[in-house]
Amino acid sequence: MTKYIIKRFLIMIGTVLIIATLTFFLMHAIPGSPFNEERNSNEVVQANLEAHYHLNEPLFIQYLIYLKSIATLDFGPSIKHPTQTVNDLLGRGFPISFELGIVTILVAVISGIILGVLAALKHNGIIDYLAMTIAVLGISIPNFVLATLLIQKLAVDWDIFPAATWSSPLHMVLPTLALATGPMAIIARLTRSSMLEVLTQDYIKTARAKGLMPYKIIIKHALKNALMPVVTILGTLLAGILTGTFVIEKIFAIPGMGRYFIESINQRDYPVIMGTTVFYSFFLVFMLFLVDIAYGLLDPRIKMHKKEGE
Amino acid sequence: MKKWLMLLLAVMVAVVLAACTTSGSSDSGEQNDGGEEASGGEKVLKLNNGSEPTSLDPPIGFDSYSWNVLNNLMEGMTRLDESHEPAAATAEKWDVSEDGKVYTFHIREDANWSNGDPVTAGDFEFAWKRLVDPEVASPAAFLGYFIEGAEAYNNGEGSKDDVMVEAVDEKTLEVTLTAPTGYFLHVISNPAFFPINEEVQSENEEWFAEADSFVGNGPFQLAKWTHDSELVMEKNDEYWDADTVKLDKVEWAMVNDTNTEYQMYESGDLDTSDIPSEMSEELIDSENVVIEEQAGTHFYRFNVNEEPFTNEKIRKAFAMAVNQEEIVEYVTKNKEEPAYGFVSYGFTDPSGEDFRDKNGDLVEYDPEQAKQLLEEGMEEEGYEELPKVTLTYNTSDVNKSIAETVQSMYKENLDVDITLENTEWNVFLQDQKDLKHQLSRSSFLADYADPINFLESFTTDSSMNRTGWSNEEYDELIQQAKSEADEEQRFEYMYEAEKILFEEMPIFPIHFYNQVVLQKDEVENIVRHPVGYLELKWADKN
Repeated sequence: MTKYIIKRFLIMIGTVLIIATLTFFLMHAIPGSPFNEERNSNEVVQANLEAHYHLNEPLFIQYLIYLKSIATLDFGPSIKHPTQTVNDLLGRGFPISFELGIVTILVAVISGIILGVLAALKHNGIIDYLAMTIAVLGISIPNFVLATLLIQKLAVDWDIFPAATWSSPLHMVLPTLALATGPMAIIARLTRSSMLEVLTQDYIKTARAKGLMPYKIIIKHALKNALMPVVTILGTLLAGILTGTFVIEKIFAIPGMGRYFIESINQRDYPVIMGTTVFYSFFLVFMLFLVDIAYGLLDPRIKMHKKEGE
Repeated sequence: MKKWLMLLLAVMVAVVLAACTTSGSSDSGEQNDGGEEASGGEKVLKLNNGSEPTSLDPPIGFDSYSWNVLNNLMEGMTRLDESHEPAAATAEKWDVSEDGKVYTFHIREDANWSNGDPVTAGDFEFAWKRLVDPEVASPAAFLGYFIEGAEAYNNGEGSKDDVMVEAVDEKTLEVTLTAPTGYFLHVISNPAFFPINEEVQSENEEWFAEADSFVGNGPFQLAKWTHDSELVMEKNDEYWDADTVKLDKVEWAMVNDTNTEYQMYESGDLDTSDIPSEMSEELIDSENVVIEEQAGTHFYRFNVNEEPFTNEKIRKAFAMAVNQEEIVEYVTKNKEEPAYGFVSYGFTDPSGEDFRDKNGDLVEYDPEQAKQLLEEGMEEEGYEELPKVTLTYNTSDVNKSIAETVQSMYKENLDVDITLENTEWNVFLQDQKDLKHQLSRSSFLADYADPINFLESFTTDSSMNRTGWSNEEYDELIQQAKSEADEEQRFEYMYEAEKILFEEMPIFPIHFYNQVVLQKDEVENIVRHPVGYLELKWADKN
């Protein structure tokens, strides 16, 4: 197991390095510069700015500077927000995105599984149709539409929740709902279909024949196995939601880190592009790694050390 | 029966979850209510800045996100008044030498920093030299070039000591300019010229990064700054004119989505809001709309090095085939003034006449003459068929609808089919600078309030030119206007220059910009300067 984890960890580092290198050269291949402005900008002023951020150095030197910044985990100041470092931006934005993300995932997973299980148990019944209607709606309504609708109804018209910004738990309700609906729907559908499959398995029949209590059969025998596909998508879902979402954070004016992914590219804010990419890719591979570990725990047929031993 | 147990469990989970959120909500609800009660007697203005200020370091934050905040936290020698003219501010008075090149500013005795220190001439000397320090790399440094020695220091040829700004004594600052600059008092009202408390800077180089360490000298002081989220300013009691300031507090949100901003305005969380573009038709005529001028022009650039726009007549044909009024009326629907010249309204010459009115309409919508000019131009060039024309704009809904309208106007008035192309903003700017476009959408926003700022864009070596156009006489006139001490003569040069620009037509205008906002009835006297920053010194909320 330890050997497996070390090996996986090294692969993770390698993956992140490759992603980082690709991003670096792709980013410099896009035309434009962080100092391109519509307004008049004097050439001397431009040159001073470029020198200030080492952008006048050859690309290879910039690459080395950048590798050093990854190694020391210090990405330097943002070009567009010069009084803040990339670490400041991420350090401030990530906890907020993470907080919103965790609540969202919890809501999505719990309600998704409940919906899915109910639908599977009442297969082709009213509850099934109802649950799947909710799920289809959840998948097909884009979250920004839902977000605007929620603000208009629940904040402006009925004045139950605040419209936007981020200052109290109450402010979390609308963005959580808007964000959680999509993943909830996906999880509900996945749970339902794999539950249906598992429920026809022989061991479930055996369990029933033994006279076990139905809820025990469902939770302990059926659900545990039905959750495998859910766990699979959870890795990507976690990485995506926990690092913030551009649209929802923009609509609700949430000071998370989602915006930096998009804005930094539009503004050619090189240090922020690199910082967000490295951070996100590391986070993603780490989540996938956790998912692999979770497989082993959920399904005894997958044994890490056995794979190693062969 | 056991299945129902499962359902019951599910319901319970849902109830518990709901209870969690409601209990959290009622707590904060009470807090909110309490807060409002406490602030009952206070005048709190709630505004949206759209985004985190780029930087509150005066020479670095060179955009409206920074200016809206900075202009109310600090103050330069002059401050734009309610009619957008520079008035005495930190400087009580000033003397200008005979030749118009030496300005001596006298700082008022009661001008203090928010930490109680007196504002000194040294603070200004320090700040203005810092503005042009190449190491500081200020994007606004070029504004400092009016000062003798500043350009040389900024491009690395000169030294700091040669920049001709000098604190004669504690309260007297002497500045020598490269040329008599009639609008210098306008220029120095820009936040880039705000003083910096040298002592504060030497103790903490990042004093401008947080609310605790921020030291200003303006009508308000920074009370709280939650980055990316909220910024609160309070009335500054140390300000020399504190009696004029009516608001107790200004709360700035940083909402970057116009729909959300509008919804917050509707639900009472904001006192002003922009109008979401899809609602402009519905809202533009409502009584809560405030429309102010903005010094700037939306225009299109020809590339005079690319066929067919190498030909002056063809350029004119394309310019005259566009109906500005129709675009403003039916496409942008934002009550802008259609533009028939490049310099916008709001600049009066010494005789008291507005620059725009005096110089008149320099391009007119005339489809018949346009058609004729096109034919003549094609004949001159020997074209059987007009070379393909592509109009490029940066991706945005408004730009797209204007471009499509222009396209159909060319089809209708000139019987010419043009192709539209849109690119991402930064790529677009790069291509425009590299003269890769044929015909492209452009905009200009003035840095300071003088027609010269508009017109200097099209001199041969200006980085704002981006058309390939070059005219010696024009360059000469701009140069003369920049060094002329006599205001009347200076305006003559500028009138002449603008006429030349339109005789050769390397650009054609669409409309002048304006600022359209929704504002609650109880809010009054917010001053929105055409050069793009907001003034709250006189603002009130009843």
